[in-house]
Amino acid sequence: MDTIRFELNTRPVSWEGQASARLLDTLRRDFSCLSVKCGCGEGECGACAVLVDGRLINSCCVAMGAVDGKAILTLEGFRETPQFAALNRAFADFSAVQCGFCTPGMVLAAHALLTARPDPSEAEIREGLSGNLCRCTGYNAIVNAVKAAAKEGLW
Amino acid sequence: MKAIPESLREALALRADTNLVPYAGGTDLMVRGSSNAEYLFLGRVPELRRITADGETVRIGAAVTFTEALESDAVPALLKEAVSRIAAPAIRNAGTFGGNLSNGSTKADSAVALLAADARVRLQSLRGERILAIDEFCLAKGKRDLGEDELVTEILLPAGGLENYSFEKVGGRKALAISRVSFAGVFCADEGRITKAAAAFGAVSDSFLRFRELEARLIGKTIEEARELKPAYLKAYAEKLELKDGRVSAEYRRTVCLNLLKAFLEKFGV
Amino acid sequence: MNTISRSVVKKDHEPKIRGESVFVNDYTAAGDARPILTGKLLHASVARAKVLSVELPELPEGYCYVDARDVPGSNHVLMITWNDLPVFCDETVEYIGEAIGMVVGPDDQEVSRILGEIKVNYEPLDPVLDLREATEAVRERDFGYGDPEKAFAEADSVIEEEFETGYQEHAYLEPQGFMAEPEEDGKMFVHGSCQCAYSVQDAVVSVLGCKYRDVHVLQDVTGGGFGGKEAFPSLLASQVAVAAQKMKAPVRCVYDRKEDLAYSFKRHPSLCRYKMALKDGKVTAVDCDIRLNAGAYCTLSGLVLDRAAATAAGVYSFPNLHVHAAALKTNTVPNDAYRGFGGPQVIFAMERLMDHAAKTLGADEVAFRRQYLVKQGDRTVTEGRHHFPVPLPEMIDMLDAACGYWEKHAAYAKPQNGRFRRGIGMALARHGDGLTGTTERDLGFSIRLRKHPDGRVEVLAANAEIGQGTRTTFPKIVAHELGIPLEKVSYQHPDTGRVENSGPTSASRSLMIVGELLRRAAIRLREQWADGEEQEVRESYTEPDFVISFDLDKFRGDAFPTDSWSACAVEAEVDSFTGNTEILSAVGVFDVGTPVDENIVIGQMEGGFLQGLGYASMEQMAYDGTGRIRNNSFSDYLIPTAADVPKLKTLLHVEEYPDGPYGAKGAGEMPLVGAAAAYAAAVEQALGTDKHRLNRLPITVEDVMKELYREEESDGHDSI
Repeated sequence: MDTIRFELNTRPVSWEGQASARLLDTLRRDFSCLSVKCGCGEGECGACAVLVDGRLINSCCVAMGAVDGKAILTLEGFRETPQFAALNRAFADFSAVQCGFCTPGMVLAAHALLTARPDPSEAEIREGLSGNLCRCTGYNAIVNAVKAAAKEGLW
Repeated sequence: MKAIPESLREALALRADTNLVPYAGGTDLMVRGSSNAEYLFLGRVPELRRITADGETVRIGAAVTFTEALESDAVPALLKEAVSRIAAPAIRNAGTFGGNLSNGSTKADSAVALLAADARVRLQSLRGERILAIDEFCLAKGKRDLGEDELVTEILLPAGGLENYSFEKVGGRKALAISRVSFAGVFCADEGRITKAAAAFGAVSDSFLRFRELEARLIGKTIEEARELKPAYLKAYAEKLELKDGRVSAEYRRTVCLNLLKAFLEKFGV
Repeated sequence: MNTISRSVVKKDHEPKIRGESVFVNDYTAAGDARPILTGKLLHASVARAKVLSVELPELPEGYCYVDARDVPGSNHVLMITWNDLPVFCDETVEYIGEAIGMVVGPDDQEVSRILGEIKVNYEPLDPVLDLREATEAVRERDFGYGDPEKAFAEADSVIEEEFETGYQEHAYLEPQGFMAEPEEDGKMFVHGSCQCAYSVQDAVVSVLGCKYRDVHVLQDVTGGGFGGKEAFPSLLASQVAVAAQKMKAPVRCVYDRKEDLAYSFKRHPSLCRYKMALKDGKVTAVDCDIRLNAGAYCTLSGLVLDRAAATAAGVYSFPNLHVHAAALKTNTVPNDAYRGFGGPQVIFAMERLMDHAAKTLGADEVAFRRQYLVKQGDRTVTEGRHHFPVPLPEMIDMLDAACGYWEKHAAYAKPQNGRFRRGIGMALARHGDGLTGTTERDLGFSIRLRKHPDGRVEVLAANAEIGQGTRTTFPKIVAHELGIPLEKVSYQHPDTGRVENSGPTSASRSLMIVGELLRRAAIRLREQWADGEEQEVRESYTEPDFVISFDLDKFRGDAFPTDSWSACAVEAEVDSFTGNTEILSAVGVFDVGTPVDENIVIGQMEGGFLQGLGYASMEQMAYDGTGRIRNNSFSDYLIPTAADVPKLKTLLHVEEYPDGPYGAKGAGEMPLVGAAAAYAAAVEQALGTDKHRLNRLPITVEDVMKELYREEESDGHDSI
C-alpha cells in the first residue's frame, strides 16, 4: 500500500492504494467523483478529463503515483465557481448538452482553454476541444457556447 | 512500492536497484495498463523537467511535456510544429519527449522531427552517460538502445540551422490521429551550396528512416546542380524505401513518402 | 416562426452539465445495501464453431459462472419482432463476440482474472464471412412497377455500377451497460442505457419465463443511442437478468470500449448493384439490387431491409422500376438499427448513379436530377403516394444561396494541377417518417397525461431521452396546449411499471407520432381541466385517413405517411500528394417539418450531418480473415473531432405535416442520410476528370491515391 497525498477540489486528501492505480478509477470509486466518465480507457475521448495543476489531463492515462502533491479539479469542484456558472448559462442558451456523457470533460476542457486563452478564435476553440469527442452535437453548439462564455470576461 | 524520486541521482539509484518501469507522462503506459505494473515516477525530478539553451544546444528534459515545449521560446519551430500535431491538448499536457522516444513506436511524431534535426539523446545511469543519435537510440519497433539501469534524461538539439524545414503528417483526422506517414526535412545552404538536406520518415516501417548516404549526394551542390540530380535522387530513395503494411498499405506509404520528399525539395528550390 | 419553435433551456440540462445525472455505471451501493456484482461476458473467439466444453478455473467464494443452463425461460431474445439470438450460446457460436457465458462476482479485477483463465474448446465449422459469398437470406423483397425488362431491352445504353458501403459504429460516448436487481417483492428491476424500455421488458419476460408484472424496466440516463441502443440492450439486459436471478443479487454489466466496438451491433455493410436504362437521353428504367450484410442473427435486419427497399430509388420517380433486396447471413457481428436504417446505403447508390449518368450524358448533375424529382401526387416505389408537397426544388435553391454551389462547381470544374485540388458535390435524400407500413396502427401505441391535484402535469410515455431532447419537447407540447408554464409539466425517464407503451424510440417517430398523441391529449385535458383534482387522459394512435394501407407481403402501399427531405452540399480539398481530404465546408438544407424547439432540431441536424460525414470520410471498420473486427479501439475507429469540419452549417425548410404536432415531421435520421453521397461527389470532382468513380464508403486516402494514379498512369505519367 502506498500513501498518495494530493489536493482534490481544493481540499487536501490522502489516499492509500497502489501507486499504479488509475486516477480515473480512484476518483470514481474512492472519492465519488462520478462526473468523471470512462468513455474509452485510452486517452482518445476526453470523457474522463480533469484538471491536474490547472492542465487538462485524461484521468484514464494517469497513475496515482503521478498525482502525489498535485492539485486535481473535477467537475464536482469546478461547478461551484463563477466560471462554471458562465459556461453553464452559455451551454444552456445554445442547447449544447445532448446526451450529457461527454459534457463534464467538455466543460473542463472549455475552462482549461479559456484559462490559457481568454479570448480565443473559433479555430483555437476547436483545437482546444479537439481531444473531447462528442457524438451528438456536431460540436457547433458547444463551440458557440464557449465563444459566448468567453465574452463574460471571467478568465 | 511508491517510487517518486525528487532528484536525478535518486531516480538513477532506483533505476539501478529495481525493475520499476520508468513513467513520465503515462499516456502510453497506462493504455497498455497492467494493474500490477510498478512504476518509477519521473515527474518530480527537476533535472528532467527543464528546457535550457546556450548558443549551441537546446536541451529538453526527458519529462518535459509537449505543451511545455510549445510554450517555450527556446524550442525550435520544427519541433513545435511536430508536437503540435500530436493527439490533442490533454495528451500533450501529459506526454513527454522521453516517453515519445522510448515507448517503442515508430509513429512518434516528435522523434521523426528530432531525427531530421540531428538531435541526440542523453542517457544517464549511475555508471555514467551516453549520448546517441536518434536512430542509434531508436533501433527498431519496440527496441531501444537503453540499458536496464539507464534513463533517457535529455534531448539535445542544435540551436541553429533548423529554420528551413518541412513537417508533414498524414493522419486519419485533424486531431487525435496516429500518424500513417510522417515526414520531417531540414534544409541548409551556404553561399549557394547545399550543406544539409535531411529527410526523415516515420510510421512507415519498423524503424524511423533516414538515409544519410543519399543525402550526401546533394551536399556541396548548387541548387541548379541539385535540380539536375533530382530524378536520380528520387529514384534512389524509391529503391531504398522498404516499407510495411499497416493501417495503410506499404505501396501507399511509398508513394506518399516520395511525394513529400519531392515537395520538401521543391519548397527550397530544388 | 411558430411560437412552439422558440428554444428553451432543456429540462435535463442542469443535472447533465453539473455531472449529476446517474448513468447505469454511476449507481453505487450506498451504506449497507447489497453490493452490486460485476458481470463480464465470455465472448466467442471463433466465427463459427461447435462449443465442445468450457473449462473453468476454480471459482473463489462469491463468484459464479452463468450460461444457457441458467436461463429459466426462452434462451432466445425477443428483438422487437423476432425470437432471435441466444442469451448465451446454445451448441454453436455464430460470430466472434457471441456470448458463451458470464462471470459474476463482487470484484471486477477478480472477475477479469477468472475470465482470462477460462478455456473454451471448439470444433471449428466453416464460417461465411464475405457478403459476396453469402446466400442465406434472413429477408428478401422483390417488387417494382411498369415493365423494366422491356425498357432495358429497348435502351440505347445501360449504365451499371456497383456500390459498396462499410460498417458504421454508433460510437455513442457511453458504452452499452445494463443492470438487474431482484426486488424484495420477487420482481426483477432491470435498468440501463437504452432506447426502448418496453422492448427490453418483452425480452426479459420471455427469457425469465415470468409474467409481465414480474419485471419492470427503467431507462437510465442514456449517453447516446443513434439506433445502437434500440435492440442490443434487449440482449444485454437479458444476460444480466439471468445472472441476477441466479445470484439473487444486483448484477451489472458495462461494456468496455473495445468490447463495444467489436461486439455491439452496427450499421449494415452493403453491396448495391444499380442499373439504369437510357433512351433518347432519358432514364427509362432503374433496377436496384440491394444486399445488406445482416451478420450472424437477424436482429432488426428485416426491418432495415424493408426501409432500404422502400427508399431504393431515392428522391426520384422513374417510368419503370425493379427492386430486389436481401439481408444475408454471415458469421460476423449482427448488424442492426443505425440512424438512417438502411437509407444511407441506398441513397449513396442512387445519388452516385445519378451523378455518373449525368456525367455520361454530359449533363449537369443537378439539372439532370431535377427532371426526375418526385412531386406531390406521384407514386412511391411501393406504389403508395407522395401525399404532400415535395420541397426539393426550393431547397436546392436555398442550398445554392447558402454555399454558392453553382459558382464553385463551375470554378472547380476547370483543370487543377496543384498539390491541393477542390471539388463540390450535392446530394438529395429522403427519409420516410415513422415505422414502416402498418406497424404504428397494428401495435396501437398510446400515451397518458396525469394531472396532479396541484396542477402539475406528468407525461407518461416510453420514449427515451437519449440526447435528442424528448424530455424537453414532450412537455413543451403539453404546456403549450394547456397554456401553463413549462415548469409545471414533467417527463421522467420511463419505467415500464408506470408509463404507457408509446412504442420504440426509433424511426424518427417520437416527436412526430408520440408528440401528436400528446398534443391531442393535452387539448382534451384542457377541455376537461378541473382545478384541484387528479385527472388522467389517454390517447392512442389512429392511422390518418389519407394513408393507402400498406400490404407487407406484396410490399405495396404507403410505406410511410410522409417524408422528410434533404439537400446537402460538401466542398472538399484533396491533397494529391497524400490522398488526404479536408472538408472545407458542409451545408445542409433539411425539411423535417416545424421544429418544436429550434436549438434542439438544429442540434439534431448538425450532429447527424457530421455523423454522415464521418461515415463517408473516416469511419472505417473491417474484419480480418477470421472474422474478427480489427478496429476495436477509438484510436483505430475514428469519428470526427471538433477540429474536423469547422464550417458545418444547417438550414431548415419547413413543409408542415398536418398530422404531426404543429406540422413537425421526423427529424433524427434525415441529416445523416445524404451526407456521404455529397462528400463522394465533392471528392470525385476534386480528382479532376469525369472518369473517376468513387463508389465505396468510406473513401480512404488509398482510394483517392489509386484513382489519381490510375488516371495519371493511363496518361503515361511516371508515378515513381
